[in-house]
Amino acid sequence: MTNEDVQKTLAELSRDLQESKARLEEAQRVAHVGHWEWDLETDVVVWSDETYRIFGLIPQERPMDLATVRAMVHPEDREPLYQGVDEDLLAGVRPDAEFRIVRPNGEVRTVHSVTPKRWSSMPGDAKRDASGRPYKLFGTVQDITDRKRVEEALKQSQFYLSEGQRLAHMGSWAFNDSGHYWSDELYNIYGLDPQDGAPTVEQYLALIHPQDRPAMAQTIKRMQEEHSGFDQIERIVRPDGQLRYVRAVAVPVVEQDVFKGFIGTTMDVTEQEMLTQELRREQAYLAEAQSLTHIGSWATNFHTRQMFHLSDETFRLHGFDPKDSPIPLERFFDTIHPEDRPAVTATLEHAIHARTDYDIREFRVCLSDGSIRFLRTIGHHDPSAEMGYYIGITMDITERKRAEEEREKLRQLEADLAHVNRVNMMGELAAALAHEIRQPIAASITSANACLRWLARDPPDLERARAAASRIEQDGNRAADVISRLRSFYKKGTPPKRETVDIQEIIREMTALFKTEALRHSVRIHSELHEERPHVLADGVQLQQVFMNLMLNAIEAMKDSGGELTITSRPNPEGQLVVSISDTGVGLPADSAERIFDAFHTTKPQGTGMGLAITRSIVEAHGGHVWATANQGAGATFHFTLPAKAEARA
Amino acid sequence: MKSAALPTVFIIDDDKGMRQAIEDLVESVGLRAETFASGEEFLSRRHISGPSCLVLDVRLPQMSGLDFQRRLTETGTQIPIIFITAHGDVPMSVRALKSGAVEFLTKPFRDQDLLDAIQQALQHDRAAQEQQAEIHDLRERYHTLTAREREVMALVVSGMLNKQIASEIGASEATVKIHRGNAMHKMQAASVVDLVRMADKLKSPPCK
Repeated sequence: MTNEDVQKTLAELSRDLQESKARLEEAQRVAHVGHWEWDLETDVVVWSDETYRIFGLIPQERPMDLATVRAMVHPEDREPLYQGVDEDLLAGVRPDAEFRIVRPNGEVRTVHSVTPKRWSSMPGDAKRDASGRPYKLFGTVQDITDRKRVEEALKQSQFYLSEGQRLAHMGSWAFNDSGHYWSDELYNIYGLDPQDGAPTVEQYLALIHPQDRPAMAQTIKRMQEEHSGFDQIERIVRPDGQLRYVRAVAVPVVEQDVFKGFIGTTMDVTEQEMLTQELRREQAYLAEAQSLTHIGSWATNFHTRQMFHLSDETFRLHGFDPKDSPIPLERFFDTIHPEDRPAVTATLEHAIHARTDYDIREFRVCLSDGSIRFLRTIGHHDPSAEMGYYIGITMDITERKRAEEEREKLRQLEADLAHVNRVNMMGELAAALAHEIRQPIAASITSANACLRWLARDPPDLERARAAASRIEQDGNRAADVISRLRSFYKKGTPPKRETVDIQEIIREMTALFKTEALRHSVRIHSELHEERPHVLADGVQLQQVFMNLMLNAIEAMKDSGGELTITSRPNPEGQLVVSISDTGVGLPADSAERIFDAFHTTKPQGTGMGLAITRSIVEAHGGHVWATANQGAGATFHFTLPAKAEARA
Repeated sequence: MKSAALPTVFIIDDDKGMRQAIEDLVESVGLRAETFASGEEFLSRRHISGPSCLVLDVRLPQMSGLDFQRRLTETGTQIPIIFITAHGDVPMSVRALKSGAVEFLTKPFRDQDLLDAIQQALQHDRAAQEQQAEIHDLRERYHTLTAREREVMALVVSGMLNKQIASEIGASEATVKIHRGNAMHKMQAASVVDLVRMADKLKSPPCK
C-alpha cells in the first residue's frame, strides 16, 4: 500500500469517522441521549454535544470536571448520587441513576444515567490501569423529564380515578379477549380481595342475593349471547354477610362493527336505596292516612295553573282516579257544584290578590257517579313565595255534614214530639174527664126516670120519688165536683209524684229542647238564673209540662216578629222560688187578661184553651200560684212560684 | 110444679149513685133488685132462686165485667146479662154479645131500653129455669127406675118391639112387658112418644 494510498485511505477513514461521529451526534440529539467520559485520574469529564445540551449548556462551551458536574446536580439528589461511588466502582457495580439537574437558567430536568455494568474494551466500559483499577468511566445520560412528567401525570390521574371511584362507591370493570379487569373499588364494593383476581361468572353469581340471582343469570346469559348491555339494581351478599344494593351498568364495546367486549360500572347504591325505600314507605303511610281521613294534600299555583303536588286522595275527593294523572286544574274546578262555584272562585281570587290564606269551610262537588260530597279546603300562602302559590289540604266533610243533618232532624223530631205529647195529653185528659162526668150524669138521668115512674104510680109513691130526687141532687153535685177537679186532671187514685227536682236542670233541658223551634222563629232564649241551685219537691215531668206550656206560648207570641225569651229564677221574701218567663211578643189580650188561665179560654185560632189551665192546676197542686203581667215594653211575663224544698216537705 | 119465685134483678156497678139509681128504677116497675159493688161480692152472696138477670157494669175495679161474665160461664152459672158502660166501644160490645150478653147499653141510657132488656132477660131466664126444673123432675123420676127398667126403657126408646127386647136381654116377652109398664108409670109417661121426649131431655147436660 502506497503512502498515497495510505493517505487516501486515511482520508477516507477520517471522512467515514467524521460522518459516523456526525450521525452519532444527530442520533444523540434526536433521542436526547448524550454520553460522557470521566477520567478518574484527572477528574476531567468529557461530554458529547447532546450532554451539554441536556445540561442546558452550549456544546463544548467549556471543559468539564467532576466538581462542575457535581455542582449542577440538584442539591437534593447530589449526596445519594455520589455517596459510595468509589465502593461501587471497586466492586465493579455502578447502577443506573436517575437524578435531577439544575440548568444554568434554573430549569430542573430529570436525567437517567446509565453506566455499563461489565467492564470491557467496548466504549462505555471503564478503562483500567495496570493495577486493574479503573481510571476512566464511560456512560450515557438521557433527558427523561418529559417521560417523567407523563408518568407523573398518569400516576396522578390513576390516583384521582381510584380515589374518585372510592368516594363515589363506584367500581369499573372491563371484559374482553385479553381478560377481565376489576377496579380496586369494585373489589371493595363486593368485599373481595384484589389479590384473588376478578371472579368468574359462577363466583360472581354466588355473590348475588338468592332472590335476584336468577334474573342476574338471565342478564349475563343475554350479555354473552346477544352482546346487549344492561342497567339494573340488584342485591348482593358480601362474603362478610353484609347485604348491599348495587346498580350495575354494562355497555358493549364495538370497534368498527366488531364486538370487543364490555365495559361497565357498578355503584353501591345501598344508602340511596334505603332512603328511597324509606321515602316510599313514608309516602305509603301518608297516602294511607289521607285515604283513611279523607284528607288530600296539594300544592299549586292558581295563577299559572301549575300543579306541583297532588296526593292520591285529592284526586279521589274530586272523583278522579289517581292513575289518570295528570289532570288539568280546570277539571278539578269543573267538579265543584255550579251553585257553589261562584263563591269558591270569589274566595280564591280574593285570597290570591290579597296574598292571604283561605279556608273554604264547605262546598259541594258533583262526582261522575252523580253523588254529591261536601268538602272543605284550606290553602296556605307563604307571602315570600310567588303570587298564587298555595299549599293546602282538602277534606271530605260529608259524613260530618250528614251527622249534623241527622242531629238537626232529631231535634226537630223532639220538638214535634213535644207538640204531639201535648196534644195526646189533651186527648187522654178529655177521655178521662168524659168517663168521670158521664157516670154521675147517667146516674142522675136514671134516678130522674125512676122518680117520674114513682110519681106516675097510682097513687104516686112520693117517698120514693123524693129519695130519687135527692139522689139526682147528689149526682148533680158529683158531676160538678168532677168538673171543678178538671183543672187538676189527675186520674183518681194516682197522687202526683214528689221528688227533689233541680229547676235549673229542667230549664236547661227545656232550653235545649226548644232551641231549634226558637231559632226557626228568630227567637233567642237566654236565662238569668239565681246563683243557688234551687231544689224543690215536685213532679219533674209536670214541671217540664209547665215550662213547655209557658215557653211554647212565649215563642208563639213572637213567631212572626222574632224576639227574646228570658227565663229568670229568684227567691222571694217568703222563701219561695219565683220563676218568670218573659217574651217580647204580642202581649196579653187587654179585655180578657183575667180569664187567660180559665180552661177552654183561648185567643189562638188553633189553641185548645187548656195550656194555661193545666199550667195553673199543676202549679197550684205544687202549692204555688201563677200569674201574668204585661211588660213595660213589648210582650208579657208569666210568673209562677214554687215552695222551696224545706217548706214543701213541712 | 113449684110456685114461681119473684123475679130478681141483680145490679153490679162500682158507682154507688148508678147502683142506687138502677135499683130504684127497677123497683119502680115492681121488680125485686139486689145491688153489689163488685163481681166478687156477687159471687160470695149469691143465692139465686127464681128467674133473674144481671145488670153488669163493664168497667169494674178488680174483675172487669167481661172477665166476670167468663167466670160465670166457666162455673156453669147461666144467667142473662145486660151490660152497661160509660165508655163502650164496638169491639167490646161485640165481645160481650158473642159471649151471650142479652143487651149492651151505653150510659146514660133510656130507662125504657133498660127495662125492656130486663123484661126480655127475665122471660128468657124464666123459660130456661122451667126447662131446667122439668129436667130436674125427670131425672128424679129416672133415679127411681131399677137397672132392668132403665135397660128396657132405653131399648123401647130406640124403637124395638117387646119381642125384640126380650131376645136382646134374654128374658120372656111377659117380663119385658112388666118392666116396660113399671118404667112408663114411674116416669109418668102418658105414651111411648112421651117417653121418647123425656129420654131426649134427659140427655141434655145437667145444670145448676
